Amino acid sequence: MIVGIDIGGTHTDAVCIRGRNIIATAKTVTGDDLVQTIRDAIGALSINYAGIRRTVLSTTLSTNAITEKKYAPAGMIVSAGPGIDPRRYFITDDFHLVRGAIDHRGREYVPIDPGEVARVADGLKKKGITGVGVVSKFSVRNPSHETSISSLIEKDFDHVSLGHTLSGNLNFPRRIHTTFFNTAVMPVQKRFVQSVRKALAELGIRSPLFFLKADGGTFSDSAADRHPVETILSGPAASMMGGLALCDDLEATTLMLDIGGTTTDIGVLIKGIPVLEPRGVDIGGYKTLVRGLKVMSVGAGGDSRVSLSEQDIRVGPHRDGPPACMGGPSPTPMDALAVLGQFPQGDREKAVRAIAPIAGQLGQDISEVSRRIVSIMVGVIHESACRFIDEVNRYPVYTIFEMLHPEVVKPDRVMAIGGPAELLSPFIEESFDMRCVVPDHAMVANALGAALARTTRQITLTADTQLRRMICPELGMDEKISPTMSMNELKKRGEQALRDNASRLGILDKGEISILEEQVFNIVRGFSTTGKNMRLKLQTKPGVIDEWGEA
Amino acid sequence: MITAKKKTGLIFFPAYDWEISPSHPERQERLLYTQDQVMEEGVLDIEGITEFKAGLATEKDICRAHFCVPDVESRITPSHNVSAGGCIEAARLVMEGAVDNAFALVRPPGHHAMRVVHGARGFCNINIEAVMIEWVRKNYPHIRKIAVVDTDCHHGDGTQDVYWHDPNVLYISLHQDGRTLYPGSGFPEEFGGPNALGRNLNVPLPPQTSDEGILHVMEHFVMPVLDEFKPDLIINSAGQDNHYSDPITNMSFTAGGYARLNEMLGPHICVLEGGYSIEAALPYVNTGIILALAGVDYSYIREPDLNPERIREAPRIIDYIKRLTDTLLDLWNSRDNYEVGGEEIVRRSRNIFYDTDGISENQQESVRVCTDCPGAYKIDSSASTGYHILAVHIPWGACPRCREQGRAWFEKPGRHNYSAVYLQDMDNDEYTVKIP
Repeated sequence: MIVGIDIGGTHTDAVCIRGRNIIATAKTVTGDDLVQTIRDAIGALSINYAGIRRTVLSTTLSTNAITEKKYAPAGMIVSAGPGIDPRRYFITDDFHLVRGAIDHRGREYVPIDPGEVARVADGLKKKGITGVGVVSKFSVRNPSHETSISSLIEKDFDHVSLGHTLSGNLNFPRRIHTTFFNTAVMPVQKRFVQSVRKALAELGIRSPLFFLKADGGTFSDSAADRHPVETILSGPAASMMGGLALCDDLEATTLMLDIGGTTTDIGVLIKGIPVLEPRGVDIGGYKTLVRGLKVMSVGAGGDSRVSLSEQDIRVGPHRDGPPACMGGPSPTPMDALAVLGQFPQGDREKAVRAIAPIAGQLGQDISEVSRRIVSIMVGVIHESACRFIDEVNRYPVYTIFEMLHPEVVKPDRVMAIGGPAELLSPFIEESFDMRCVVPDHAMVANALGAALARTTRQITLTADTQLRRMICPELGMDEKISPTMSMNELKKRGEQALRDNASRLGILDKGEISILEEQVFNIVRGFSTTGKNMRLKLQTKPGVIDEWGEA
Repeated sequence: MITAKKKTGLIFFPAYDWEISPSHPERQERLLYTQDQVMEEGVLDIEGITEFKAGLATEKDICRAHFCVPDVESRITPSHNVSAGGCIEAARLVMEGAVDNAFALVRPPGHHAMRVVHGARGFCNINIEAVMIEWVRKNYPHIRKIAVVDTDCHHGDGTQDVYWHDPNVLYISLHQDGRTLYPGSGFPEEFGGPNALGRNLNVPLPPQTSDEGILHVMEHFVMPVLDEFKPDLIINSAGQDNHYSDPITNMSFTAGGYARLNEMLGPHICVLEGGYSIEAALPYVNTGIILALAGVDYSYIREPDLNPERIREAPRIIDYIKRLTDTLLDLWNSRDNYEVGGEEIVRRSRNIFYDTDGISENQQESVRVCTDCPGAYKIDSSASTGYHILAVHIPWGACPRCREQGRAWFEKPGRHNYSAVYLQDMDNDEYTVKIP
C-alpha cells in the first residue's frame, strides 16, 4: 500500500492505494500543527498501517516558511568576480562578498582568500548564525571555490549549503537565492522530518518516507533534509501529477485545471509529460533555480467574491469566505450554481438572497444572472489558459531544425479536478469549446498525485576535453578525463553516476534514465580543433510509478 | 531584483546547427559562451529584459534588399532566413512598441552582402540589416530616415553598397583601416552615390585603437552627425571584433567600451555582426551591450583578463584619430557643396570578389541623377559563375521620370545576352525576374 498526503492551505487530502485501486480517501482540515494534521489524515483513512510500504508527503512547510519569512537567520558567502554587481541580489545583512573569480569554462582568474573567508565566518558565528550558504559564479563549471570555502568554515556551523549541489543550471542570482532559502529553511525542515518520522513510528508505520518536489517528482526524507528548498510549491505539482495519474489518454495534450475555492491552477500535460518552468520557479518574490512545473494561478475559484462594478459582473480575484449558501458573507459562483439547482449541498434560499441584489441592480432574471456569473468565472480561467499556452509556445528555440519544425502546443481537451470541477464542466466545455474530462476521485487528485509520483533526479555533466575536466555539480564530481573522451563515454559515466548515487540522490525506483539535453561543441584555437566541450543533462524520468500504469 | 530603465527585447538565435566549417570562425559554438555568460549573469531575469523567439524572413523580404542570382533559394540556407527573420522580429518589437529597443543576437551575419548576391562574401550571404530595414520601410512608411552605425572591425562594404544611392539611409562605419584588413575598402572618399552624397561616412581607424579613440570618434563625429541627420530609427551593426582578444583583427577595444558606445548611441536595434573571440570577448561584450541598452549599470562588466594599461593606445594614435575626426566633420559639413556635373546618367564600373565562395563579379552600374527622388539605377553584372544579369532598382518614393526610366530599363534591356533581368519596384512591392 502507498499513502499519499497533500497538506494544503485549508484542507489536507489523503489517499491509500494498492495496485491500481484506491482503497481509502480522506479529507481533513489543516491545523497549525502539521504533524498532528498528518496524524489526523492518516487516522481518517482507517487502514491497516502494517501494509504501508511507501508514504509520500506534499507540504506547504518550506513554501510558507519562505513566503512568511519564518526561517532562521542564515549567512551567505558569495564570490563573484567581474559581472553584474552581486550585492544587488543580497537579501539580508548576513550576505558577504569575498574575493574569487571563475570564468564560463571553469578557469580560475582570481583565487579565494582564506584569511578573508575566515574573518567573514567569524563575524557570522559571533552573530549566532548556525547555517551558511556558499555560492560562487560559474560554480557549476568549477565548484572548487565553493568547496574550499566550505572546508574552511564547515567545522564552525551546523550546516553549510553549496550552490552547485542544488542545481547544475547556470544563473548566479538564482543560485544565490536558492542557496539562501535552502540554508534558511533547513532547520525547519529537519525538525519537521524528525517529528513526522516519530509520529509515523508511533502509529506503527515503518515505510520509507518521501517528499514531493516542485517538479512533480519525489525524493527521500534524507535528501529532503539536505535540499528542503526543492519541496517548495509542491501543491500545484501534486495536482498536476494527480491529473496525470487519472489521465486516460497519454497521447493527448491536456490542459489541466485544478479549480479550488480561491484560485484555479492551470497547467498542461503534453503526451503525459507536464511542462516545466524553463529557468526555475519563483517564490516569495524571488527567482530560484528550483526545477518546477509551469503552473499559472488565477484568482477565480468556486468561492471567489462576485461583485458589480458599474453594470459589469466581476468574479474574484478575492475570496471573502465560504459561499453564501454555506453560510459565507458574499455571493460566489457556487451560489450561482446553487440558484441554478446544480449545487444541492448548498442552501438555495441563502444563495438566492445573495444573488438577488445583483439581479435587481441589473434588472435581470436571477437564473440568467446566475448563468452569467458562472460563464464569467469560467471565462476568466479561459483567458488565462490562453495566455498560459501562448507563453509555452513562445519558449525560444536555438537551432534551425527546431525553427523549421516548430512544435506548437495546442490542447485537445481539458481535464478539471478540484471541488467545483464536476459542476463547472458543462460551462468549461462551452467556454473552451473542448471536451472537459472530470476524472473519478477528482476531489483527492492532489493526494493521489503525491502517492503516485516517481522519485526523480536530474544531473548535469560538463566535459571539457581541452581542460581535461569533467564536472557533475549535483554529485560534486570534478574529475580528470582523457582528451579523447566521447559523448558516448560521457553518457555511460553519467548513467553509472546516477545509479551509484541513487540513495544519496534520494531515488528509490530503478527509473528509466532519459536524456534531457545533449550538446557537443568544438573548442578551436587558431584554425584547428583542440578539444570538445560536451554538455549532458540526464534524469530519471518523471511520471507516475509503474504499478499504477501497468494494472 | 534589478529593474531595467528601458524595456529591452532580446532575440537570441545561436544556430547551434549551422557552420561554414568546423574550425571556421563562423561556426556552431560561436554564441555558446555568450549564452553561458548571459544565463549565468541572470540577465534574462532582469525586470524589463525579455527574450523573444526569432522569426523566419520570407523570400519577398529578402528580395526587397537583394538581387539574388539566380534566385533567393539557391543563395541562402534556412539559417539565413532565421537570422534575417530574427532581425525583423527585433524591429517588429520596437515598431509595435512592445520594447524600447532590441538586440538581435543572431548568426550568420550579413554586412558584407551587397545589393547583388552571387555568393557569400566575408561569411555573409544576405545583408540581414538591409532585409530588416526594407521590411520596416514597407510596413511602417512613416519611418523615413534611418541611420546605420556599423561598429564591426571590418568595413561593412555590403551595407555601404546596398544604400550607396539612398539619401534616406545614413551609413556610418567605424572600422580598422582598410589598408590593414579585409575587405580593404571604407575610406572617407567613399562618400555616397551622386544622389546621396554625405550619406555614406567611413571612419578608418588605425590598428591598436582602444576605448579612448573609438569613444572620441563617437562623441566628436558620430553623435554630432546624427544630431543633424535626425534619423527616425538608429541601428547598430554590432560587430565585436574590435575587441583586443579578437583572433583576426588588430584593435584594442573592450567590453566596457562597447557598452559605453551603445549607451551614447542609444540605438533602437542592435544586430550582431562579426566578432570571433568567442570565449574571451563575446560573452562580456554582449552582456555589456544588453545592459547598456536596458539602462542597467554595466560598470562591473569586465573581461577577467583585462589589463587596461597594456591595451591603451599610444598618444600618436589618439592624435591621428583627433585629426581624422576633424577632417571627417569638415567633409560632412561640406556635403552640400559638391555638384554632380550636368550628366543625366552617371556610371561606374567595378570588380567584386566573393572571398568565402571564390567568385569574381564585374558590375557596370548606371544611376539616374535626380533631385526629386533617390534615383533609379541599373546594374549589369557578370560573374565567374557564368551568370550575366541586369538588375533594375526603382527606389522608394520614385519620381515619375525615374519610374519611367526604371521600367524602360527593365522592359528593353538591350542587346546583351542576359541570363535574367531583375526588377525591384519598391513602392509597388514588386520583385520580378524575367528570362529573356
